[in-house]
Order: sequence, then C-alpha cells, then structure tokens
Amino acid sequence: MPEAPLKERTASAEEVELLARLRAGDERAFEALVDRHYGTMLAVARTHVSSRAVAEEVVQEAWLGVVKGLERFEGRSSLATWIMRIVVNIAKTRGVREARSVPYASLAPEGQEAAVEPERFRGPGDAFPGHWRAYPGNWNNVPEEVLYERDTLRVAMEAIAELPPAQRAVITMRDVQGCRADEVCAALEVSDGNQRVLLHRARSRVRAALERHFDG
Amino acid sequence: MAESHDHVSCSEVVELVTDYLERSLPPEEAALFEQHLNFCDGCVWYVDQIQTTVETVGRIEPEEVPPEVRSQLLAAFRDWKRS
Repeated sequence: MPEAPLKERTASAEEVELLARLRAGDERAFEALVDRHYGTMLAVARTHVSSRAVAEEVVQEAWLGVVKGLERFEGRSSLATWIMRIVVNIAKTRGVREARSVPYASLAPEGQEAAVEPERFRGPGDAFPGHWRAYPGNWNNVPEEVLYERDTLRVAMEAIAELPPAQRAVITMRDVQGCRADEVCAALEVSDGNQRVLLHRARSRVRAALERHFDG
Repeated sequence: MAESHDHVSCSEVVELVTDYLERSLPPEEAALFEQHLNFCDGCVWYVDQIQTTVETVGRIEPEEVPPEVRSQLLAAFRDWKRS
C-alpha cells in the first residue's frame, strides 16, 4: 500500500490564542505548555541520545530555544510539531557529539518481530494451522483490584522502559500522552505506516509483560 | 497481511490488531478480521487484552516536570519577557 505523505497541520485556533498569551508573557500559559509537552519531548529526545540524563539536558535546551523562538514562530506547523522539531535538532546535534555509532539512526522499525511467540500457534502440518494451541487468558476474569493495582501499572511502566527507543517514544506519545498519530509522525519523522508498526510492537510487548504478570 | 483472501488465522489476527484498532485496514480485510472474531473466543480475548493494555498504559501519569527544571524554565521565560 503506498504511504500517504504526511499532512502538515498548521496551528489551530486554540494554539493561536495560546501563542498570543505566551507572547504577552503569560506565565500560567507557559507552565501549562511545559507540563503538556515535557514527557513527549523527553521521549523524542531519547530516540537520538544515549541516556536519560542527556535527554533531560536536550529538553531544557530546547525550551530555551522555544522561548527565544516564540516571536518568530509563524504558525505554519502546529505549535507541538514546531517544539518537537527544536527538540529533534538539538538532540541530533548532541547525538553526533556523543559519537553514537549510528548518529542519524533511522527510527524505521527493523526486522521482523512477532507479537506473540510463534510456538503458541498450531504449525503448518496441523489441521488448523495458525490457530491458537491454547487460548490466551480472558482478562475480563482478572479481578478489578488486580487490574487497577499499582503493581500492574508498575509492570506496564517497566515494560515501556525496556522498549527500544523508537517504540518507547511512540507508545509514550500515543498512549501515555494521548498524541495523535500525525503528531507522532511529524515529531519522529516517520511515515504513518512505520508509526503504526512501532506502536504495534510496543503494545504487543507491554501486553506480553502484563500477561506474565496476570498469569504470574 | 493475510495469506489467503478468504480468511485470517489467529496468528494473523495478533499482527493485524493494531491496524484494525487504528482503522487502517482496507475494508475487505477489516471484514475478514471481524468475521474471525465472530467464531474465535481466543482472538476476542486477545483483542480485549490489547485494549486493556492500551487503557492500562493510558493510566500512567505523564512525566512530571522536576521542580528545579520548572523554576529554571520560568526564569528563562521571565528574562525573555523583560528583554
């Protein structure tokens, strides 16, 4: 399937208003902006640099760039996209300075990765090839107190922490921060198809971690 | 993608589930996917597991801005305002 080119969104009416408040020096508006984008910026920065500490420095530097650039931001992209571009540019420069083995590593998903271990499905010689050998659990039977306990959340957080950076960035943006797919594509400079593959792999791995936790 | 055009198997469902939930499957393939769920409890539960995973991840609090970072950034914003 040919991939549709990324649609660039211009700043929304809400963003234009926010921008006016920021330019007028509204500190509450600035704090809200920081709160809203900080986590995403960290996740994006981490796709280019090796450690969380460096990513934090990148994000701080990026905010200084945002503050300085507020006057000349023209609203040709969304505010979020513009902010993420600043993060990416700084992070790439830092990534090069860190002399990472692959400084401009593509975030495109690599190789094949099965969502579920192939052994859990019947083989080609079977009467029902590709069907479950044993059904996965019905999580409607997991008690609510287990489903909602802190431990379950901790398992999910740990699973995300262990993901490859590109997968971690996509699931953080989409499912933790609630970004739209097109925002992820613009920030990470990946196609819509690759964004979905990364999201799929990330969700599949977190599901597997939760399954191990529930089946404990 | 589905190997044959008339059905999808369980091992394909687990790979198509994100495309399905993102509504990016072509209509014929989405129909085959739904047809499969009509007769396979295992895959219904699997799709449910993925949705529960998305909900669980959605309850993770977004990364908080450390207080010292917040005050540094606010200071930078005030400086810019004054200049």
